[in-house]
Amino acid sequence: MEMSLISAEFDQCIKCGLCLANCPVSHELFLEKYTPRGKIQLARAYSRGETAISDHYRDIFARCLLCGACSVTCPSGVDLTTVFTHMRREITEKKGISPSMKPAVDSLMIHHNISNEDNEERGDWREDIKDLPDHQYEKTKAKVVYFVGCVASFFPMTQTIPQNMVRILSAAHVDFTILAGEEWCCGFPLIGAGAGESIDKFVQHNVLKIRSLEAESIVFSCPSCYRMWREHYPNDIKLFHSTQFIEQLIDENALSFNELSWSVTYHDPCDLGRNGGEYDAPRKILNAIPGLEMVEMENIRAKSVCCGGGGNLEMTDPTLSSKLARGKIAEIRKTGAETVVTACQQCVRTIKGRVRREKMDLEVMDISTVVSRALLNV
Amino acid sequence: MISQAAADAMRAVLDDAWYLDQPEDIATYSYDGFLPEFTPDAILVPENAEQIAEIMKIANRDKINIIPRGAGTNICGSSVAREGGVILAFHRMNKILEIDKESMCAVVQPGVINGDLQKEVAQYDLMYPPDPASMFVSTIGGNVSLNAGGPRGVKYGVTRDYLLGLEVVLPSGEIIKTGGKTLKNVSGYDLTRLLCGSEGTLGIFTEITLRLVPLPSAKTTLQAAYGNLDDAATTVTAIMAAGMVPTTLELMDRTVLDVISDYGGAQFNNDAEALLLIEVDGDSDLVNRQGERIEALCREKGAIAVDRAHTPEEAEKLWQARRTAFGAVASMRPNCIVEDATVPVKKLPDIIRKVVELTRKYDLQIAVLAHAGDGNLHPLIMTDLRDREEMGRVDQMLEELCEAAIQMGGTLSGEHGIGIAKARFMNMEFSETSLDLMRDIKRVFDPNNILNPGSFL
Repeated sequence: MEMSLISAEFDQCIKCGLCLANCPVSHELFLEKYTPRGKIQLARAYSRGETAISDHYRDIFARCLLCGACSVTCPSGVDLTTVFTHMRREITEKKGISPSMKPAVDSLMIHHNISNEDNEERGDWREDIKDLPDHQYEKTKAKVVYFVGCVASFFPMTQTIPQNMVRILSAAHVDFTILAGEEWCCGFPLIGAGAGESIDKFVQHNVLKIRSLEAESIVFSCPSCYRMWREHYPNDIKLFHSTQFIEQLIDENALSFNELSWSVTYHDPCDLGRNGGEYDAPRKILNAIPGLEMVEMENIRAKSVCCGGGGNLEMTDPTLSSKLARGKIAEIRKTGAETVVTACQQCVRTIKGRVRREKMDLEVMDISTVVSRALLNV
Repeated sequence: MISQAAADAMRAVLDDAWYLDQPEDIATYSYDGFLPEFTPDAILVPENAEQIAEIMKIANRDKINIIPRGAGTNICGSSVAREGGVILAFHRMNKILEIDKESMCAVVQPGVINGDLQKEVAQYDLMYPPDPASMFVSTIGGNVSLNAGGPRGVKYGVTRDYLLGLEVVLPSGEIIKTGGKTLKNVSGYDLTRLLCGSEGTLGIFTEITLRLVPLPSAKTTLQAAYGNLDDAATTVTAIMAAGMVPTTLELMDRTVLDVISDYGGAQFNNDAEALLLIEVDGDSDLVNRQGERIEALCREKGAIAVDRAHTPEEAEKLWQARRTAFGAVASMRPNCIVEDATVPVKKLPDIIRKVVELTRKYDLQIAVLAHAGDGNLHPLIMTDLRDREEMGRVDQMLEELCEAAIQMGGTLSGEHGIGIAKARFMNMEFSETSLDLMRDIKRVFDPNNILNPGSFL
């Protein structure tokens, strides 16, 4: 990879260190090499031939959530996350896929999903749905495609997301379809694994399938799929995160809600908020549900702290990932809310996994669950 | 280079894991917020004063340079291994040991982050006033070493004014205590104040006792926009002459406003050629009264608009944007030098005129920023280190500016420190006798010159 492509970014860094303030990894590991500023300097040192790519060097770049908190803090406008993803790619080119990422990457190449399952099982989450319609949400033509994503399709803990999404879309009489076994991973985990050169076949496959449906738009409940499509796919189709689509349905009076007397707080997923620019749609949805009391956390919107599930960290350093999740949960608990709502299956998995393991009394749910529970007459 | 025996001895003190010398560590402790970089031989991350004492004994015996480093956010080059040696990093010594509400003080380890302390003491309705722009990253140990200031310095003063006592490891490995929890203390020489601002040249701080003040119950932020820089500068002296002491009184020109105005949703006046950002704090009556008087005074002195922030969030956005000024301006050219000369506040309009004059004379790109209320200038000189001809002009400009500040009764550095940045100008401010006295003091503390050598002395 051409290092000159990103040298403009690290030459822009004046080493002021303000990026350290909001980096969850730096707070945990504190040594300068793990800070955003340190990694920028390591990238610069490599580009000048002063540092070689060692195993340790690779580990340092793996210890990053790619959450983008540093990029939004940088007063000099350095796009740090771009440098970090480029460096992961450079590292992979020089040293191959990292051992901790290899199973996931192999699974993607063979099965087209991150779960090492037969991709035909991608639609198995439908088995728990009562009154499943005959078409089982698989149509040959539809206006809207609901792109479910790997994690929500395969992980039992998050299969409620597609189950609730189809309930909501049906309640609003949306003409939609899913791709089931024909949906392939969007390719996002490959970017984080430094294997971005392999995304083409995933892009081509998904684009071909969606074009054959003559759909007008795609809805994603996964913020990272949504981001991936916006950044790496052709832009001839309208893309919505599920919160944006549901917000639109509410505006069109296509959904009506029961009262839910819950107190909730909302966690901004990195790829929806900071990296996707959408902070308002989920809040508007929660506000539209009567009785719901919303308590904000200390760090919200662009300052939201990653749950610990970003940047493939869960695979490369699960201990660190769970420490960060613990920090997130502490911030959530300070609000006193009984439920934390988010809009990302990965955040649900990371936070809920930690809550369960530590037997804490905290409900963790995707926003589709909240909306689905509040639906009238379905 | 460090001998194998010395390295092994230091490793043994630090249980091996906290003696770092991998290339990735060496590379990332070779810099701070200033420009030049120097490669250290190793990085040591001790856990307590006893470990530091053992390390100092080894270093003193083998003449290994020790360079203390907090978060490495200083902008004078005071935490880099100018003459080689090891970096002493305080990441593991980051505990707030005590908040004593009755005596209104806190005892902390040097690695505590300024902003973390502020947040913690606020829960006791107390405040730690020094607020350098780096406060969410920089450490108290570093703040004490550099005697850091910040915007609130106008009303509250600087780190020195809140430093009550220290525990210090000397190069000999002996541990001493200076000062204590009392506000009044005239016993003996004031070693605490001597050590404050010593830029890591005299001893290693391991415990720091800080004075706290009551957290003001109200504050308000206003921005006064001006059609020219001069009106803004004369307003500053008028406010101070009227017997009012705002918490902060910041001045910035159009160039600064242009680059910070879109940071984090801050809303600054669009028509201003110069702007004063003013905060007053206290009880709500006082805040309102002072706010109104300052507003009137600004208008009287030619402000084209004066606006108050309507909510604390709106105000915080303005201050957050202000804190990014250095980095934001710095991104306009390859390099940026922040000047820090400081003058008595009544000379502020004169020194600002001087900055404008020198900018033209040497044909440079300079953005004007100042903690105006305490005469502390921060002109931001945008340049390119690779351009030798331009750097020559920058050097001449800096020299003339420092001379002018000193002639006006000011100083080389208000709060950033001397470090590498201004060592060459020390003889402008100090006679040879004064400098010799400082060198003698240094020798008493550190006869082998192992602590941060090559600094301003």
